[in-house]
Amino acid sequence: MMAGDGEVLAVEGLSAGIRLRTSAVDAVNGVDLLLRKGETLGLVGESGSGKSMTGLSIMGLLPSGGHVAAGSIKLEGRELVGLPERQYRRIRGNEIAMIFQDPMTSLNPTKTIGEQVAEPIRLHLGASAGQARERALEMLALVGIARPAERLGSYPHELSGGLRQRVMIAMALSCEPKVLIADEPTTALDVTVQAQVLRLLHDLKDRLGMAMLLITHDMGVIARWADRVSVMYAGGIVESAPTRELFTGMRHPYTQALLACTPRLTQPRENTLYSIAGAPPDLLDPPAGCRFAARCAHATERCESEAPPLAATRPGHTLACWHPVDGPLDPATTPAQAPVPDTEQAGPVLDVDDLVKEYGGGRFALRGLKRSVKAVSGVSFAVEPGRTFGLVGESGCGKSTLAKMIVALEPPSSGSVTALGGKLNELRGRALRRHRRNLQMMFQDPLDALDPRMRIGAILREPFEAQGIGTAAEQLAAIRELLDEVGLPHSVLERYPHEFSGGQRQRIALARALALNPRVIVADEPVSALDVSVRSQVLNLMKRLQAKHGLTYVVISHDLTVVRYMADAVGVMYLGKLVEVGSSDDIYLRPAHPYTAGLLAAIPEPDPDAGDRIEIGSEMPSPYEPPSGCRFRTRCPRAQARCAEEEPQPRDFDPGHSAACHFPLREPQVTVRTG
Amino acid sequence: MTETATARPVPELTSGWRLAVRSFAQNRLAVLGVGIIVALVLFCFAGPHLYVTEQITVDPVSSLLPPDAAHPLGTDAQGFDVLGRIMRGGQASLQIGLFAALIATAIGTLYGTVAGLAGGVVDGVMMRVVDTLLSIPFLFIVLIAATRFSSTVLSLSLILGAFSWLAPARLVRAEVLSLRSRGFVAAATVMGATKLRIITRHLIPNALGVVIVNITFQVADAIIAVSLLGFLGFGLNYPDVEWGTQLSEGVSYLFEGAWWLIYPVGGCLVLVVMAFNFVGDALRDSIDVRLRRR
Amino acid sequence: MTRYVLRRLATSAVVVLGVSLITFMMLHGLSGSPGRAILGVEASAEAVAAFDREHGYDRSLVVQYVMYLGDLLQGDLGYSYRLNQSVNDLLAENAGRTAMLAGAALVLAIGIAVPLGVFQAVKRNSVGDNLLTALTFVAYSMPVFLLAMLLIQVFALGLGILPAQASQSSSNFVIFTEPRAMLLPVLTLTGVTVAMYSRYQRSAALDQLAQDYIRVARAKGLSTRMVLTRHLLRNACLPLVTLIGMSIPLLLAGNLVVESVFNYPGLGLLFFNSLNNQDYPVLLGYTLVASIMTVLGNLLADLVVAVSDPRTQNA
Repeated sequence: MMAGDGEVLAVEGLSAGIRLRTSAVDAVNGVDLLLRKGETLGLVGESGSGKSMTGLSIMGLLPSGGHVAAGSIKLEGRELVGLPERQYRRIRGNEIAMIFQDPMTSLNPTKTIGEQVAEPIRLHLGASAGQARERALEMLALVGIARPAERLGSYPHELSGGLRQRVMIAMALSCEPKVLIADEPTTALDVTVQAQVLRLLHDLKDRLGMAMLLITHDMGVIARWADRVSVMYAGGIVESAPTRELFTGMRHPYTQALLACTPRLTQPRENTLYSIAGAPPDLLDPPAGCRFAARCAHATERCESEAPPLAATRPGHTLACWHPVDGPLDPATTPAQAPVPDTEQAGPVLDVDDLVKEYGGGRFALRGLKRSVKAVSGVSFAVEPGRTFGLVGESGCGKSTLAKMIVALEPPSSGSVTALGGKLNELRGRALRRHRRNLQMMFQDPLDALDPRMRIGAILREPFEAQGIGTAAEQLAAIRELLDEVGLPHSVLERYPHEFSGGQRQRIALARALALNPRVIVADEPVSALDVSVRSQVLNLMKRLQAKHGLTYVVISHDLTVVRYMADAVGVMYLGKLVEVGSSDDIYLRPAHPYTAGLLAAIPEPDPDAGDRIEIGSEMPSPYEPPSGCRFRTRCPRAQARCAEEEPQPRDFDPGHSAACHFPLREPQVTVRTG
Repeated sequence: MTETATARPVPELTSGWRLAVRSFAQNRLAVLGVGIIVALVLFCFAGPHLYVTEQITVDPVSSLLPPDAAHPLGTDAQGFDVLGRIMRGGQASLQIGLFAALIATAIGTLYGTVAGLAGGVVDGVMMRVVDTLLSIPFLFIVLIAATRFSSTVLSLSLILGAFSWLAPARLVRAEVLSLRSRGFVAAATVMGATKLRIITRHLIPNALGVVIVNITFQVADAIIAVSLLGFLGFGLNYPDVEWGTQLSEGVSYLFEGAWWLIYPVGGCLVLVVMAFNFVGDALRDSIDVRLRRR
Repeated sequence: MTRYVLRRLATSAVVVLGVSLITFMMLHGLSGSPGRAILGVEASAEAVAAFDREHGYDRSLVVQYVMYLGDLLQGDLGYSYRLNQSVNDLLAENAGRTAMLAGAALVLAIGIAVPLGVFQAVKRNSVGDNLLTALTFVAYSMPVFLLAMLLIQVFALGLGILPAQASQSSSNFVIFTEPRAMLLPVLTLTGVTVAMYSRYQRSAALDQLAQDYIRVARAKGLSTRMVLTRHLLRNACLPLVTLIGMSIPLLLAGNLVVESVFNYPGLGLLFFNSLNNQDYPVLLGYTLVASIMTVLGNLLADLVVAVSDPRTQNA
């Protein structure tokens, strides 16, 4: 261990557990961390790896039943483990502060922003009410909140998610702490806002000379914002190194695999994504040896019986592995995917024409809130058979509403969806139900989409029964075949959904969607509830099944890398409108709309050498009051007077590539637009 | 690397209901509650066959005897053996509690389901009706109704049931509304399931838990309510008796020190109501556990 | 906010109208012809019919309901032929004493239940919590009259320090003038109410304790006491306010039983006596008033919540 040189917080051999009624979870196991002044240490790991518990241990805020079992936490030489609560309180919010994941629930709903920001100032700095108010005002300005004086009297629900997270930061930094623990500070935020908040945290860390512990699951965030990285797996640190060294010369197979599964914009679409088989171990009963051994390609007998110690391989680079690897996997080694079969040009299988969905504003004024909102306003696109159409946009842009209309879960206010020649809004009753066979859906949360009271067998049988297909024996045979397709053993039929992991549940949901042999599957955020390593398994499976059955997908995601990997054509949505449509390459390599470019720029690439890019400011306005003219103009760096007056019409930039912008990033083609 | 996900090894088959039973059995209060209910039901219904007493003909000679060998809990003003009387009264109290709860739950479930499924204006009107009835104090209206009926087990059950379906109706409606927005209902719709299929295969099985929990609480409430009616003089008529009437008769002799008329029967009453509340709480928790696990 | 208040007022008016319809139907169905009630069983059928015709009691139900509503709007709740007094006077005579009893019990119950529930939530599963949970569970499972009898047994018969009967004075302020005589009735009503509120308050506080903002408050360095008083209390009390509004019928029912056990001359005892007299105008008059109180209580509770919760103010 290096000593001195600005060392602020040193965690050594930290173990923490949670006692449950009948068992104990070994959540953190022998963690070493070192934070230096002015430096960001990234702590990366998948859900359940113990990274949040580590942060809470440092704060002395473990949930009830949690306790630090061993190890030491030293703040500038002072031991924090075992410190009396009264003294710990003087450190919390004063010398060590913490920011949590969900800004929507982290603020007290019934207190004003001003009161909440001023609270630690009065508590720790002994300021008067007036002084605390002044300081709170200063802090709000510091975190980039416009008109801070007005905001002091606002309540949390009046603020957007990004603003609330800024308030959280102001609150955490109000006493100028020495250490800031940021636990997934941007996971709940949209990608454009995420970039703003991370930049703010980075700048403030430099300005106040803090040490920052950035806890995240996102390798991209780490690559861009951390100086050094510690990788956690199943409660322990497996590798720590300076960021560049970790990304280019990692030694632990888990680090290598984690990076390989992280999708990139540059990911060749023809290749399968790398994925790690299996799931992390159950920490109620952790394995004796290396906890990654069961999923590791390099594991030997020694790994399964003897846990490797965390030891320095080079100054500043520590590792816990018996069989280290050397550097990242070569992306080209993964086998090529069978090409998508070229079905004869029979015209689009799915045609969405000028679809509008308007909520509220009904005839019954008794319901209060009479403001109407156009969740989707005039969206049109078509998908060729066997292709994937990707739909991207930030939360609240109307993409999920659009998905529901495509599968006729919601009737459109106007416009139409034509699938395989049938107009969905003209079909009724039995005819509609029969037509639904062709058009299935995958949901974001597979646990919600599977009836908790049904066995998997009954869940998979349901599509056949609903459509009256086959005898019981034929159905069973078909169900077995489906399980083989999605890679689940037949023994799952007798089990219930809660017994499976997220990835397995999404496989079950996919099997169910496939049961009726549909032509089109609409997948609404199919992998956003899953961890990176499992995410790539599901995406690969979706692609393989597409190739095999000639499926047409509509993949909806806020994650541009997922859509990049899956889609042939992409639509970008903003406030209910499709602002740009084109082939995947058009959108990702030659965007014409400033919003598309801004979205792309905001994606954190898992590459420490990726340079800085332009970012979009502020946040999406309320859909209840969309801006006049071009809806993006309030956030657009290129906006001019004309954008407020006149709504831009889609113009062509390449064949099949159009964007609605008055001042696009590229010159449009002059040719007359054809259907 | 491979796409074959190995199913997480689960040592034994854990069905949803079995999981609920397990978590229920882990709750000591719940087991205690079930024990008390079983014991009291046996006591009231099987007891009179083992411990035979005269409960019809008045015996003024042996009135208000304190507990002794012949009468372990003494006798009341009419000379009835109190222990035997508690058994007899318990039969009526338990029956009325159960019948009233079943009637209330049946009406409430049906009403709440219809409102929740119908939605819109129908739902609005149906819920205003519930609001209206809920704002009339339950005990008042039940007492007024009781002035016009001769009190029998059936009539008391009907009166109590007829005015206590409101809470279950609200509960079931809320449950139906929340279930309707769940993903698995959307999934069933997308696969072409009929409304009837969605109701019978998804909504009813999932709402069942809430309904079952509600029945236990309703039984507890109905037993208390019927004891209030009995206490205020609207209980069963001689020679029938339930615990409330028994207690109200006992009150007159409280000042004479005839404690055995009050505490044994009062204890049974509190015990059985508590037992049903324990069971209801535990059932609610175990259903939650089952749905939230993992 | 204004919109919300107007909407709440409108639904409350609809509910009150519905209640009046129900009381009218019950009055009509249960009490038979007013002519018979006034003229007595001896009167001839012709005389009764003539009386009913003269006073409009032979007209259609709709007309009679409109008449009933008209009387209600003028504040006329009807006439008790048994007691030969207007229902208004009877209720007004007794309302003060009931208000004192129920009000004292309500204030005490809130004052006890709020800290109790929060304490239990914070010390969840401790010995103290378990003990209090057991105690409230017993009280919750006990009919009011049984609690009253227990208290009488202990304090009046056993220790002999408190009277077993409430004050018989006609003054409205006996709680202050004869506190000893009122202690048992107030305690009984408080006891059952605390049992109901504190269980609810405990679970509301538990819900709030699990919220992220509580963890954030602790991360600021606030002591447990400050977290509770500054952050938890207000949010954890909002659900209780709604419950209090909804529990008015239960409070009035408890009051009815307590007044009849302790023989306290209030609305409850009036109701109890009217039951035995089958004096339906009084019974239904009080029921109507109690229902309106309930509607107002719910309205008030909703408004209090709306005012103290900024999230509802924009709605």
